[in-house]
Amino acid sequence: MSRPDGPSGDQNAKSTSSTEPGSADGDTPDDVSSAAGRDAVSTAAEKRDARKIVTGEAKYTADYGGQFPDLAEAAVRRSDIAHGVVTDIDTSDAEAIEGVYAVLTPDSAGMPDGPYTSAGQSYPEPSPWDLRVLRRRVRYVGDPIAAVAAKDTDTARAAARAIDVTYEERPAVFDPDAAVSEDAPRIHDPDAVENVQSGADYDRNVEAHLAGEIGDVEAAFAVAAERDDRSVVETTWETPYQSHCVPEPHTTIARRDEDDRYHLVSSTQVPYHVRRQLAHLFDVPIRDVRVTKPQIGAGFGSKQSMVIEPIALALAIAADRPVKLEATRAEEFHAMRFRRPSRGRIRSVVTDDGDLQAIDMSVTTNSGAYGPHGMTAAVSVGKKPLPLYAGTPNLRLDATAVHTNLPVAGAMRGYGAPQGHFAVETHIAEIAREIGMDPIAFRRRNLIGEGDVETASAILKSGDGHGRRIRSCGIDECIERGKAAIGWDDVDQPPEDHRHRACGVALATQGSGIPGDELGAAHIKMNEDGSFILQTGAVDLGTGADTVMAQIAAEVLGARPEDILVQPSDTDVSPFDYGAYASSTTYVTGQAVRKAATEARDQLFAVVARLLDEPVDDLVAHDRAVHAESSGSSVTLEELGYASIYGDDAREQVMGEASYSTDESPPPFAAQFADVTVDERTGEFEVHELVCAVDCGAAINPDLARGQITGAMHMGYELAAGGELTFDEEGRPNVAGFRDYGMPRTADQPPLTPILVETHEPTGPFGAKSVAEVPTNAVPPALSNAIRRAVDVRITDLPITPEKVKSALDQRRESADDV
Amino acid sequence: MKIRLTLNGEKITLDASRSDSLLDILRRAGYTGTKRGCETGDCGFCTVLVDGDAVKSCIRPAARADESAVETIEDLGTQADLHPIQAAFVDNAALQCGFCTPGMIMRTKALLAENPDPEKAEVREALSGNLCRCTGYENIVSAVADAADRLAAGDRSDAATDGGRQRKQCTACDYEGVQE
Ligand code: FES
Ligand code: FES
Repeated sequence: MSRPDGPSGDQNAKSTSSTEPGSADGDTPDDVSSAAGRDAVSTAAEKRDARKIVTGEAKYTADYGGQFPDLAEAAVRRSDIAHGVVTDIDTSDAEAIEGVYAVLTPDSAGMPDGPYTSAGQSYPEPSPWDLRVLRRRVRYVGDPIAAVAAKDTDTARAAARAIDVTYEERPAVFDPDAAVSEDAPRIHDPDAVENVQSGADYDRNVEAHLAGEIGDVEAAFAVAAERDDRSVVETTWETPYQSHCVPEPHTTIARRDEDDRYHLVSSTQVPYHVRRQLAHLFDVPIRDVRVTKPQIGAGFGSKQSMVIEPIALALAIAADRPVKLEATRAEEFHAMRFRRPSRGRIRSVVTDDGDLQAIDMSVTTNSGAYGPHGMTAAVSVGKKPLPLYAGTPNLRLDATAVHTNLPVAGAMRGYGAPQGHFAVETHIAEIAREIGMDPIAFRRRNLIGEGDVETASAILKSGDGHGRRIRSCGIDECIERGKAAIGWDDVDQPPEDHRHRACGVALATQGSGIPGDELGAAHIKMNEDGSFILQTGAVDLGTGADTVMAQIAAEVLGARPEDILVQPSDTDVSPFDYGAYASSTTYVTGQAVRKAATEARDQLFAVVARLLDEPVDDLVAHDRAVHAESSGSSVTLEELGYASIYGDDAREQVMGEASYSTDESPPPFAAQFADVTVDERTGEFEVHELVCAVDCGAAINPDLARGQITGAMHMGYELAAGGELTFDEEGRPNVAGFRDYGMPRTADQPPLTPILVETHEPTGPFGAKSVAEVPTNAVPPALSNAIRRAVDVRITDLPITPEKVKSALDQRRESADDV
Repeated sequence: MKIRLTLNGEKITLDASRSDSLLDILRRAGYTGTKRGCETGDCGFCTVLVDGDAVKSCIRPAARADESAVETIEDLGTQADLHPIQAAFVDNAALQCGFCTPGMIMRTKALLAENPDPEKAEVREALSGNLCRCTGYENIVSAVADAADRLAAGDRSDAATDGGRQRKQCTACDYEGVQE
């Protein structure tokens, strides 16, 4: 407790603490290798925003609207056609509506017209610059053409509807295979796009194409053709558009502030990238833009894209007042960003003993109308799962990102990996069947393990030296614990003959940040009462990142997590951070926090060494005090807070700061299990349970880590058997709201069991790797594999529906009858 | 037009246009704990109690709410004095981003007033109009069961919903019995 008149006791006197050290064996808290020695980081500390969330006081972007009495609401007029050119925009009716403050079109004065990317990546963005804020050339149903700011939402929407748009329609193409054909309509003019991605060929609607090889794949297939003890297995797959279904729609409040700068309060995962991208678009210095991230209603990658901020800012400038733009749910389902559909083929060579000799994977992804994340996500479809079997001597990956006249794909939790794991892990199951091996035994034989150096994740890089050493790998234990939890070895068959039950398995991996392309930073300073204020650029989207950062700092400083106050990300205040994506926050920013806290602790130790006349080497921090180990004397953090600031001799602000960047990106691992009963008459299936055992290194805050696993499985289950965005033959979305989309609800979400398998990643903060994405990856293949084992049909295109299972069963029966 | 409500136990009159929903007028009046996720009645983030029933306020025309008793998340406990349902959500880690949470809690309040000891399946059924994208629902279902226990340990009669009038008593008594 803080007291205005100083800490209890004589702040300069030695006090002998009777408190027993909380950490075992006197380990310094940042040098521990097992959970036994960890303290604050391993507790299920209460999520620091939990109380304001349950009382309704947590403030999300839209909740700030009331602070601006002259706030205008905004609406966007979007293309109703899939492909064409806007020949005329008549705004006169809209402008005549009372209460309309501004109507913007691509031709309005001051409207930024340069190309940009919405990708929210580090500079220079790998994604093509192919977007304009408002567009005359429209390429999908949903392209923004005009925007309105008005006194309230109803007026803004009415005005947006009143804008009269005339189009010259062009033929559209919706299928990626059709899009690359000679006579397909051209969606982009290469002269109007800045694209640094390799293999772009806009004459064939190819946004990017990349291929890489390790070993000699063709030679392996040639050998297989000659030898009896080799099998060749080939499978195909297809995955659909998936919506993030972010609970809080994309929302931005933009205004010009009293210092004549642009200030945005925005639901973004990447405040710093938005600041830079906006400065570029609006042609102002970066210093003239400020982006504040309030409480966020989740992101999952959708808010890595800068989708609405430029429109809101342009309207705020035009209307000369604060403007709030909040996407509607219908816009969320067609005009924001999505998981990209994928399809492709895998061939492999395997020996009769079960040794993988070659894997050859080709992938086509559908970017939709524009290219954010096109190349990087397409290659991730292969690069993310293949390291599981990195010992395979011959690997080839060929990835193509194709444009169609459908909505814009972006980043989404897993980033290509869920598509890729569906491809690879159903393929692996088919190989095991082909050679008559148990699917787990076959995987184990070929699986990556601790100490291995894998190059598969660098398959597209030329030259040597891109190997990644695996320093922690708990996948064996993930398999064992998952098997036990799902009841792999004792599945009871239902009494009815037509119902069959089986378990399926699929493995998964991911990264922890983008190797060599991340930066996190932290600043921490001490208050008199022994608490600390921590500033990081880490962007807590609701995941609990701020809580995790507080726990890391607390562990170093011997404080309690609640003694560390974490400031939300704000580009004017927080140290730089690349933002919340690619599973980087705990691993990268967490290390910056650890370093900054260590620097502050070293300063504390210097103060204590003076006060107690003890050597610095003998000091440890735990239980809210710094202790001299030999003598047992100690000084509390609160005493130190006062002593450092108000001391008689030396006075200093205890504060630490650090940056962290790394070329490492250690993979977390997971084993996903599904338990399913299938009715072979109807194709209906019931999923009894989904179990995911995850090796995320040390689990910082196990409650939050488990929450990431269940939430990720929920999303994976939707991709496996639930939601799918479809379009009519004109490219118009069939999904306008939640009721058209199969997001699992409490009543139809199968039970989810998360298991944490702790390992120690030596390069991570207190042994941690990432956790948020890897459990998203393997529900679809685990479910497909379970159905295959239950009723002997393989579903290769998602989502898996009773109709697809039924038709596969019918086909199997027909072909059996033919024999 | 003027809408007269008993809002969280206080009589209040709010301005509304003909197209305003109950959600619109609540948020405009500063009751922003009630969230907007869809405006079509499909997400449940805007759930409040109207005369004790859980209602999706985005599809309840403001005009129809005239003369009713409305209870929002703001009327439950405070951060230092959580209502037992709120405490159960915190202690069961039943939230991540929190955007669904106020609606979930209000839905839970209505459920437990009607069925103080629901089976798991009944909880799942009752919450099926309230989406959550972050948690996978597991901890939310546990939190509801835990909240039922906490309320049962306190004075059952105070769990009844009446637009918030008895809430303060209820919170007070539950504190002694249940909190820490
Ligand atoms: S906002 Fe009311 S149900 Fe979605
Ligand atoms: S906690 Fe984010 S939607 Fe439920």
